[in-house]
Amino acid sequence: MRDRDLDRRGRVREAAMHEGFLRHRNFRWLKIATALSLAAIAGYGFADVTPRPNGGSWYGYTLGTVAVLLILWLTLLGVRKRWMTRGRWSLKAWTSAHVYLGLSLIVTATLHTGFQLGWNVHTLAWALMMLVILSGIWGIVAYAALPKALSSNREELTQTQMLEGLRAIDRQLHEAAQPLAPSQAALVQKSLEQNVFAGGLFRRLSGRHRGCATAKALRGIRREGGQEKVQSLLERKSGMLARLRRHLQLKAMLEVWLYVHVPATFALIAALTAHIVSVFFFW
Amino acid sequence: MAFLIRSVTQTADGREIVRDTRMEKDVLGIGRAAENEISLPDLSVDPRHARIEMRDGRRVAVIANGTLGFEVDGRSTRNTVIDSAKGAELGFGGHRITVAHDGDDVTLTIKRVDAVSDAEEDRDEAAAFSLEGKLPGRRLTAWALVAAVLIGFLAIPVWTFMQGPEKTIYERQAQHSWSSGPLSAAHHSLENNCESCHTQAFVSVRDEACASCHKDVHNHAPPDRIAGARAKPTAWKSLLQTVARTFGKPGPGACVDCHTEHEGAGRMAETKQAFCTDCHATLRQRLADTKLPDAGDFGTAHPQFRPTYGQTRVAMATQIPSGLKFPHDLHLNTSGGVARMAQTLRGRYPFGEALDCKDCHKPSADGVRFRPVEMESSCGMCHSLAYDNVGGTVRTLRHGDVAQAIADLRASTHRASRPPALDGGRRRPGQYAQRQVYSAYFGPAAQRGSDYAVRALFSQSGACAECHTLTPAGGSWTVAPVVQPGRYLMHGWFDHRAHQTETCASCHKAGASGSAADLLLPGIETCRTCHGGEASKAEVPSGCAMCHSYHADDGAPWVPSRPVGRIREDAASNRGRERR
Repeated sequence: MRDRDLDRRGRVREAAMHEGFLRHRNFRWLKIATALSLAAIAGYGFADVTPRPNGGSWYGYTLGTVAVLLILWLTLLGVRKRWMTRGRWSLKAWTSAHVYLGLSLIVTATLHTGFQLGWNVHTLAWALMMLVILSGIWGIVAYAALPKALSSNREELTQTQMLEGLRAIDRQLHEAAQPLAPSQAALVQKSLEQNVFAGGLFRRLSGRHRGCATAKALRGIRREGGQEKVQSLLERKSGMLARLRRHLQLKAMLEVWLYVHVPATFALIAALTAHIVSVFFFW
Repeated sequence: MAFLIRSVTQTADGREIVRDTRMEKDVLGIGRAAENEISLPDLSVDPRHARIEMRDGRRVAVIANGTLGFEVDGRSTRNTVIDSAKGAELGFGGHRITVAHDGDDVTLTIKRVDAVSDAEEDRDEAAAFSLEGKLPGRRLTAWALVAAVLIGFLAIPVWTFMQGPEKTIYERQAQHSWSSGPLSAAHHSLENNCESCHTQAFVSVRDEACASCHKDVHNHAPPDRIAGARAKPTAWKSLLQTVARTFGKPGPGACVDCHTEHEGAGRMAETKQAFCTDCHATLRQRLADTKLPDAGDFGTAHPQFRPTYGQTRVAMATQIPSGLKFPHDLHLNTSGGVARMAQTLRGRYPFGEALDCKDCHKPSADGVRFRPVEMESSCGMCHSLAYDNVGGTVRTLRHGDVAQAIADLRASTHRASRPPALDGGRRRPGQYAQRQVYSAYFGPAAQRGSDYAVRALFSQSGACAECHTLTPAGGSWTVAPVVQPGRYLMHGWFDHRAHQTETCASCHKAGASGSAADLLLPGIETCRTCHGGEASKAEVPSGCAMCHSYHADDGAPWVPSRPVGRIREDAASNRGRERR
């Protein structure tokens, strides 16, 4: 009960959080980021650069400097989030700025390129940045949409409770299957041995579990007209598995973008280093 | 001598409960079914899986009843004999039965070692519910990518640069990842040779690098003059220059200020008008002694042309000593005698209804200008220098060589008749039919001797004076030199071929000129009907570089050459532009 209560409170906090960081202070950072982007676009139109806009003009260097400082600051969220504080620079404010300023990089850094893209280290940095931003967009969408699905699927069960339920039904299944003939017992045994966490990333994300041992056992025992109790236990187990797998799928979708976002950020900083050094090396 | 069955179970909190049962039997059944002496609640075990038989005080035999075997010390078998004093471990599904000898009894210790189900297995719940293990760790991936990028795109190119100019194709390719864009067509061969321009690390491209190939490029003017001519930069420009200097960029006027590279394959980007007008629009304010008038935007702030004739600059609407008597209006008249004659001679020459500019003015091989009009091929179509007819072959005087003409004439007066054309008579259209014309003219002068014929030829009413100004000089005559300059605008470039869509008369008002002394060059106002400044809305926006060359020489202004087989045109900036 206490656990459930805690969980509910957590969920409420989570919902306030996701609404919070996007709408923080009446979209303050959205406005700032939009202003920054518009200023960059206007500057691009008006700047007197010869022979054409590119990263090597004074305006290009300006945008590039702004973009690289932004990127470094955005990266600091990883450090910042480990210290919770309140107020003007609360983590929520910081996250809000992270999201909107990160999005504004699409404008700033792309204008920095002057649309001169090619197969080189400079475009590599740009492409990695876009990868980071796109994975970030995925993350925002996931945070906005998935927690609701996650909680409606769990129906107030915790992960521990889900797993405990599975254990309980397995124990009952084990008991109930003792009188079964070896062939049916083997089917049940396969279901008991089944690892619900097995499989790779694709299986987690797709939620497709062909060849599920429990489903097979249920089919086999139904066909052979096995014990009713075992059948009903297997049916209950199937239901539990479906819920648990949906939970795993949603959690994977919530998590997977970070496996792109974070490593790509580091690769981006490395590529930026190479980009900046190469520019000054061949000055 | 009995079996002591010791079953060990575990409570939820991990305590072990040991229950001993003594069996005075020789044979014990092992299986899932409850009737077995050793009943194992294990779905991997058959209901009647195996039996244990006592052989003597120490040895026991374990024999499988069905096809399913069991494990003895980890090895699968279907029957075995165990010396209980030595001991052994039997494995049935998730259960282990340890065989030992205790006093007189054979002890069988039964323990469940495998969990009932997978869900029972101990696992780190947080990790299991996350993607941990499904993907390479974020930290590991991050550092691997960082290492890959830094090695591939930083360390290798730097190392390659350190190797010096001799490189393998792979080393060049590795370095090429630093190129911010393809080089222009002119420098395409340097694409994989960064060091040819970027000679030193962290030092920007210097003029010396360009000059190592472009050895004969002229300076625009002495450097101190250029420095004096340059307009004082605005506060903003001066700030930009200071920043650029701080970062070691070469000062204003460096090659790369104008010739920017890595802007994409194709033509090199053209120089903006401001590059010239920054100095030239207000040049006189800074260079008081300059002979050049201030020149800015072509459409609004360019001075009138100052053509060169001979060695001097002349005004536009002026008279020039061409040395020739040639009324353009008479020759271009569409209804006069000249036109009639052209019509008559149409079969022999490509004339139209009247004479046209092209009938006499032939373009030079490059089409830029016109060749000087030649007497023999152009004037001679109508103005014959024939003086003799030998057996049907007409002899003509040598044009341009007074002494030779006199000698020829004297040598032939012994017999031939002379055309009256040479002594004042004039051919008329209609008379100039196949050879007839000559016999008609050959006659009167011949009868009067060679001196007369020569005097008649060079007299004010003679054939020569018709076009030339003659001065007698001790028994001979001097002909005033005829000047036909090929080029009048020595510091600007005009390409006739680029203007083929226009008629000659749209610029040169020859039809209204009665004298060869008229300078028939069009003024700037004529050009401005089509050409305006670089940013103007004129039909042909024209920057300075369209006509003027920074690296001043006699040739055409430098224009990026057209690449072979690879063209990326910037249509707007080249509107109306004919590339050479």
